Amino acid sequence: MTALLPWLVAAWLAAIGLYGVVTSRNYVHLIGCLTVFQSATYVLLLCVGYKWNAGPPIFYSHPPGTPAVDPVVQALVLTDIVVGATVAALLLAMCVQLHKRKGTLDPETLRPLR
Amino acid sequence: MTVLIWILLLLTAAAGAGIVFSREPRQQVLAIAGNGLVLTLLFTALQAPDVAFSELAVGTVALPLLFLVALTSIRTDRKDPPRVGQP
Amino acid sequence: MSAAWRKALFGLGLLLLLAPVVGVAFHMPSFGDHPLPYGDAINEGAPRDRHVSNAVSAVNFDYRGFDTLGEEFMLVTAVTGAVFLLRGSRGEAVTSKPGTLPNRPIAARSDAVWLISRLSGPFLMMFGLYVVLHATVTPGGGFQGGVIIASGLLLLFLGEGYRGWRHIMHSTLLDILEGGGALLFALAGLAPMLLGASYMQNVLPLGTFRDMLSGGLMPVVNAAVAFAVLAGFSMVFLEFLEETRQPDKQG
Repeated sequence: MTALLPWLVAAWLAAIGLYGVVTSRNYVHLIGCLTVFQSATYVLLLCVGYKWNAGPPIFYSHPPGTPAVDPVVQALVLTDIVVGATVAALLLAMCVQLHKRKGTLDPETLRPLR
Repeated sequence: MTVLIWILLLLTAAAGAGIVFSREPRQQVLAIAGNGLVLTLLFTALQAPDVAFSELAVGTVALPLLFLVALTSIRTDRKDPPRVGQP
Repeated sequence: MSAAWRKALFGLGLLLLLAPVVGVAFHMPSFGDHPLPYGDAINEGAPRDRHVSNAVSAVNFDYRGFDTLGEEFMLVTAVTGAVFLLRGSRGEAVTSKPGTLPNRPIAARSDAVWLISRLSGPFLMMFGLYVVLHATVTPGGGFQGGVIIASGLLLLFLGEGYRGWRHIMHSTLLDILEGGGALLFALAGLAPMLLGASYMQNVLPLGTFRDMLSGGLMPVVNAAVAFAVLAGFSMVFLEFLEETRQPDKQG
């Protein structure tokens, strides 16, 4: 059972992020829930690339050839974290503009085609 | 080492739930910073120092700051700004 | 769709997906035990072929450099979108007074705040520069260092207040850095093609192992990423903070 924990935690984070998006009453809160969904993918990717009793893939202090975890998934995740924050900034700019035009940030009262 | 990773995974799940269940945006900002810190610890335990660096700089500093500044713009932008003491 | 229907649909989807997700979790490779052939090949190859000791940077800027080009353009696009949304509706009048809520007293900035920010801000920026420069040697790189330098600039805002900070930040310089970073990345990929190699192939001399400037084309690409990230974050902060200032005339 404990061997399944990483995958179940990733699935839990995705589910609860999506639940937050569905039941949100404020658009800024919704953007925070999107951040939770993104962190589910980070946890999944890094847990796929892990190896027991291995070190980080940096060969400055230990010589090349010591067992190390997968560097490819780490490269994917680290660019994704920075870009995800910038996309959140774009969404927040849209929230600011929305508040200027409509005066509220409630998804319930801001239906499309109204 | 295994126990550390299990504990950190459970903490991550709790921090994620904490973000979703803090409905007030200004409360949620602190939950986002806490989630960033827990994720940094998890990534360090998973032998990924580059990723932990990135998550620390972004998730605890840049992202909460962005949220706070956006909330300030929203608050000071209304045509009839709220009096002190009102949300 | 009303809220009740939305929640019902979400609950239904969750129920339908619960069993498959648990099934997938049982079929996933066992945590920490399965072979990682691609990772092992790169861990072996990066110190030997590219003379770098940070295999993650080697993947980011050399082996999978094209993906990083895509990520960088995603970043530039998102920053451009945010800046366009915020600048476009503001108009060209510039003031230096921050917006205020009525009836809220503005406390004077305490001495400890500006002293600590003046002492730590430059150190933070220097540390960020160190992280950027040592991308191929120790954990770090353009992405991490760029965000650290942007945080240092924002720490100066906390210490100086809006008016002083606005004097420091030159919006034009940030625009140039942002676009210049993306352009430098694309050009660093095109330059090898002038020598007959393929796009973004490592044609510069590779340097010595564990040296700061090892890796051939990697420090150039790394610097491009650092410029774009630091200018992008600083510009977004600047535009959001500009939104909070008080307009000169009403309406």
